[in-house]
Amino acid sequence: MIFNTLAYFLLFLIPAALLFRLLPPGARPWMCVLFGALFFVYFSLTESGGAMGAACLAIFAWEALCSRLYRPGSMLCLLGVVQSVFFLAVFKYWNFFTGLVFGPRETNPFYWEGAFLPLGISFFTFEFIHYAVDRYRDKTRTGSLGQYMAFILFFPTMVAGPIKRYQDFLPKLEAPSTDWRTDWERGTTRILCGLAKKFVIADTLTAMTVHLNQADLAVAHRAILPVWLLAYGMQIYFDFSAYSDIAIGSTRLFGIKVPENFDWPYLCTNIAEFWRHWHISLSKWLTDYVYIPLGGSRRAPVRVYANLMTTMLVSGIWHGAGTNFVVWGLWHGALLAIHRLWSGWRGPREGPPSLAGQALSWALTFVMVNLGWAFFCMDLPTARFFFRRLFLG
Amino acid sequence: MKTPPRLKERLEYLGGVTDAPPDGTSPLSPLALGLYWGLLICAILAFSGQASKFIYIDF
Repeated sequence: MIFNTLAYFLLFLIPAALLFRLLPPGARPWMCVLFGALFFVYFSLTESGGAMGAACLAIFAWEALCSRLYRPGSMLCLLGVVQSVFFLAVFKYWNFFTGLVFGPRETNPFYWEGAFLPLGISFFTFEFIHYAVDRYRDKTRTGSLGQYMAFILFFPTMVAGPIKRYQDFLPKLEAPSTDWRTDWERGTTRILCGLAKKFVIADTLTAMTVHLNQADLAVAHRAILPVWLLAYGMQIYFDFSAYSDIAIGSTRLFGIKVPENFDWPYLCTNIAEFWRHWHISLSKWLTDYVYIPLGGSRRAPVRVYANLMTTMLVSGIWHGAGTNFVVWGLWHGALLAIHRLWSGWRGPREGPPSLAGQALSWALTFVMVNLGWAFFCMDLPTARFFFRRLFLG
Repeated sequence: MKTPPRLKERLEYLGGVTDAPPDGTSPLSPLALGLYWGLLICAILAFSGQASKFIYIDF
């Protein structure tokens, strides 16, 4: 829930945004820390295992204190990356990875019965890693402890992004916009549009997407299967873009602008363009901290394809602890590699593309992306069953 | 091919993504903005109650 609850608006967003505007600049970061900590505890406690999840606030404090020690080029920065990945691996992937080695729950002696997922761990881990890496590369200044903790605990973006960069956020925290009227008008419009997207479109599509399970797939008419999958493709877009709208709109109430996450991705005419328009903050993070360190596009062709596959594999695993997410990542890695191969073989284009060419490219991209959602929303045996029914009857 | 970018700009302004309306159009008047917000709130209330979690909350 969170963003579609009255508690979010009445207990957190409106009081915090008003206080942020009224307090003197020096007190603002600590106000963000206080509200962020209360937000994390309040909404963690509404989940199962939430008490332990809320206790994970210690992770924030630990990471923040450690990060104060980071000096450019210091090995401590690398330690920061390792500890962030360690926390994510333990909380999110323990049962998945031990399951790969020791089998299912019944045979796995290391199965963690009480496993829980701290609220937003996938997202704040990426912000921890970004900060550590950029300190290592001397791309960002340190700021005060309060400013760094405010960066991590800034509650509108803490749970599911957009993934911020410290060097972008810090100047806005220090000198937020003072145009109250525009900020509140635009922010409120964005929040209302986000809520409308969520309630009117995304939640309505749930009536169709709930059928994406083995039992319903077995009895459904074959012609309805692509409709259900398309409904999921629309649902996940409207659901997450609604979330991003509310998050970005919320930050506007503080006078702070954070990165955009979506830019009409379903209108893209190739898969590389799609990933520049879908979950933009994650795509940029993966490019900067995975793809480019691997060598990016400046290596031999085979190595570039391997880099693309690896980057999208990381994206898949980051999205969830399951083999279906691995396949989803590899699916997109393969599409990107094929697109790159095709673009290289075809060479540079002369003149604008024809309308028919654009329509064909759009249709192909749209179909491939939506077929890929099968691996995202269903476990692997169900997805396999879905494709068997879809293509073989 | 002029219409789709103009349409996109208009929709982005109505969605709160951009601060200024497209060139040649005026911003929403306070009355129009109030009506627009009222319409959105009505739609939200009409469809609320079937709510599910945001998908990315569990990530």
